[in-house]
Amino acid sequence: MKKTLTVCPYCGTGCMLHLISENGRLVGVEPSTTHPVSRSGLCVKGWNAFAFVSHPDRLTRPLVRRNGTLTPVSWDEAFDRIVTGIKNVQKIHGRNAVMFASSAKATNEENFLLMKLARRVFGTNNIDHCARLCHSSTVTGLAQTFGSGAMTNTIDCIDKTDLVFVIGSNTTEQHPLIGSRIMNAVRKGAKLIVADNRRIRLSLHADLHLRHKNGSDVPLLLAMMHTIIAEGLTDTSFIAERTENYAALAESVAAWTPERASLLTGLTAEEIALAARLFATAKSAMIVYSMGITQHSHGVDNVRCCANLAMLTGNIGRPGVGVNPLRGQNNVQGSCDMGALPDLYPGYQKVIDPGVREKFAREWGGHPLPAEPGLPLTHAMNAALDGKIRAMFIMGENPMLSDPDQKHARKALENLELLVVQEIFPSETAQMADVVLPAACFAEKDGTYTNTERRVQLLQKACDPPGDALPDWQIIAALARRAGYAGMSYESTGDIMDEIARLTPIYAGISHDRLTPAGLQWPCPGREHPGTPILHENGFTHGLGRFIPVKYRPPAEKPDSEYPFTLTTGRTYFHWHTGTMTRRSHLLDREERRGFVEICPGDACRCGIRNGEIISVTSRRGSITVVARITDMVPEGVLFMPFHFAESAANALTNNVLDPESHIPEFKVCAVRIEQLP
Amino acid sequence: MKRIAPEDLSEFFTSLSLRYDLRIPILLADGGRAIGNLADGPLAMIGRAVLSKPTSFFFAQDELVFTERDGDLHSPSKNGNNLLVVGFTPRDLLCLHFIDRFFATGERDDLYFHQRDGAVVAVVSGYCGPDGAFIVPSYGGCDLEFIYDGNKEWLVLPYSEAGREIVSSLEDAPEELLEGIRKIDSGMLSAEKELIGQASRIMRQMELPDSFWEEIGERCIQCTGCNLVCPTCTCFGIQDWRYAEHTERRRMWDSCQLGGFMQEAGGHNPLGTAALRTRRRIHHKLAADPERWGEISCFVCGRCDATCPTGIGIFAISREIVARFAHISVTR
Repeated sequence: MKKTLTVCPYCGTGCMLHLISENGRLVGVEPSTTHPVSRSGLCVKGWNAFAFVSHPDRLTRPLVRRNGTLTPVSWDEAFDRIVTGIKNVQKIHGRNAVMFASSAKATNEENFLLMKLARRVFGTNNIDHCARLCHSSTVTGLAQTFGSGAMTNTIDCIDKTDLVFVIGSNTTEQHPLIGSRIMNAVRKGAKLIVADNRRIRLSLHADLHLRHKNGSDVPLLLAMMHTIIAEGLTDTSFIAERTENYAALAESVAAWTPERASLLTGLTAEEIALAARLFATAKSAMIVYSMGITQHSHGVDNVRCCANLAMLTGNIGRPGVGVNPLRGQNNVQGSCDMGALPDLYPGYQKVIDPGVREKFAREWGGHPLPAEPGLPLTHAMNAALDGKIRAMFIMGENPMLSDPDQKHARKALENLELLVVQEIFPSETAQMADVVLPAACFAEKDGTYTNTERRVQLLQKACDPPGDALPDWQIIAALARRAGYAGMSYESTGDIMDEIARLTPIYAGISHDRLTPAGLQWPCPGREHPGTPILHENGFTHGLGRFIPVKYRPPAEKPDSEYPFTLTTGRTYFHWHTGTMTRRSHLLDREERRGFVEICPGDACRCGIRNGEIISVTSRRGSITVVARITDMVPEGVLFMPFHFAESAANALTNNVLDPESHIPEFKVCAVRIEQLP
Repeated sequence: MKRIAPEDLSEFFTSLSLRYDLRIPILLADGGRAIGNLADGPLAMIGRAVLSKPTSFFFAQDELVFTERDGDLHSPSKNGNNLLVVGFTPRDLLCLHFIDRFFATGERDDLYFHQRDGAVVAVVSGYCGPDGAFIVPSYGGCDLEFIYDGNKEWLVLPYSEAGREIVSSLEDAPEELLEGIRKIDSGMLSAEKELIGQASRIMRQMELPDSFWEEIGERCIQCTGCNLVCPTCTCFGIQDWRYAEHTERRRMWDSCQLGGFMQEAGGHNPLGTAALRTRRRIHHKLAADPERWGEISCFVCGRCDATCPTGIGIFAISREIVARFAHISVTR
């Protein structure tokens, strides 16, 4: 029996746990009793983190499609097929005809290497990952206002705050140990405002529950700011000393009275004003948000409003405050940090900056690096459909279920000349691939993940991968060598982190030997630096915090007579994203076996729908069948569906309309109709 | 009675590992303690409470029931030596006695006794708790006990033949060394046990209002940790893993805090709400088990209170029950 301290593979909370192995097989989990986040606890997914690892479905051999069938081959043959395929595509269609999708499930080191493979070995900035689908609005919006697109404070700050304003985050289900921390803070006297029209668990503990209409976050936040200014509740000295462009903000919210916002949000003017007063008069107030804010065609505007609200009330740069986007995947923060983004190198250094390119080129052997930013993932799917992207290399993502408008995603992937998928299970996307590469899962490799509070933590190998499967970093390095690049030989993932530290100022002081037991929070600019729990304490990353006025834009698709319901999508407590791991974990699968659509009792009654009945849900993009769940969780006119289930794929319905700046799809609002099956 | 100096413990246990499959308190990489292999961390007989339950060596989170290959069923084979588990607290030992009886009653649980039979259990007590806190010794009920005198040595008391054989090489110690320790043990356990007992009496006397359980249930995030760390929780589920050339039937810990635990195929769920599930968890330990087994099945080991992210471990709930309902139940 062996106990290996490592990081939970599910959400961005970043709990640490011990994997228990017996004769090389994982047989259990034990939470870390000393870790500052887990504190002896885990959520149900963490307690079951070992359960999928030995599943019989694991991919164990490289596969190449021959005569329509995926056939086991050697690693050499698989690599040959990939290198030849990509080079042929690039020769005919140009180097930017290939797209690399990195993975927020993979380690920092692996994201760094795939980024290096794309830029240095194949000469393209076409690299992105699923942050495009979750928090790209945060990266864009907070970078503009604060200069840094990450959670400003730490999870520990929840213990020190006087008020938590949760907007667009079902925290107890999606970041359960953070949600628990919020519930505990409320029991100790902190106030809680929840803005979410679903009756989520946190709303049961809230002082004020705002059930505003989907897509009306901007009017709500503008009217809160209007009230704060009108009633003299701003932090005038913070505004004067730490910010710029206040006058423009004040002018932009002047017309946004709570009465006006009430018409768009469905809230009463009193509720909005009360929220504003509660927030502005708390000594310290935290904003906590997640994808209810970001996944809109105006996601960046939502984020800007959150940042503006925090600056207006001086709730930045000290304990117990801040703008706190809760990152979804275990390493989505790290994947962004590592520059698995089309316009940014590691540490948010810009591709368009010649000095940055020169620095990376020097480290990587002098070869010039591509200057033009690449395609965001969402645009790459469109480009695949148009024939501009001809080859795609996908590491640990499952766009067939996670992308909006599934029909569109399928056509795009089918249109490729070469689709390579590096995976641990035969996902819906892997089944369409020309080459499938079997990867080690989190328990079978070393590396680091960076959690939502910017804490870089050590992942440690607890058991061997099955069959011929290899850690992603070893696969990428071997592929680079096969493609003729000699600069990717590493003895260990620690060596890769050393290279990351040399090139990335915010990670400059990070090395594996410093990360036990509980990691370091970036920015960590030197070997002696203790890390930075709270950002913007003495100044914003770009000097002054910038108020950016926002104009209201409604969601792209609203209910009408043909599609009378608003559909919003999300996740459930027991499953993770496209279910590749959790649907293969016995207890988690047992708890939520099938997809469902939430409908309120009044709507169900009007439509003659019984609880548990299988109904059809149809949007302009597609139609699915799914079990109806009658519940007062959702208000009238709103339906909720999780996107985990291939057989009831919510993303067959969603709208592939993108935020113009972050290019995030509008997963949270589309119009649908429901029907009983004949 | 025997004695051993702290600096000699490591060598002593290492010598035992030749004859036993040894599990021993160790310091983990994160600074916590666990019961594990000596190879995985330095010996740590003293320190913070161990979260994982020591009974897991006999009833594991996930274990093989049998393997099917070509139509033949194969039971798991025992790995060589018997287990020697060091690190039970006296309260853990009471939990072990409880589940020993549970697994032996009616259909004897072969899988449990496959590991339990022949296993040697050693309790660790004395001044070895967090920050040197005193843990009242068990003075029996196991094979041997290590009692730290808080000063310079461990007193080692064998209670069984296996225990006597294990400690035979150690230096004898005069019985009077225990006298001081025996004097300080009276009453140390009573406050916590009394509170649990009081909560149990209240639950058996009166039906607590639904609103109380709803309030508790609203705080349950269904992490299942309370069940998974509880040494007297014995529920498990079964799963078949079908590999290309064989099938494995495995069993894994289950949790009554999950909706699927009692879900019926027809759709009805007798434990369909968090309030009902929480009530069941507490009722089972404090009211049902005393009826069936004659004793409360919570021995206040503290694990569920330590792991629960929202503060609804059994001791915390018992405290709330006593605070809110003691005066009502008394007046009835």
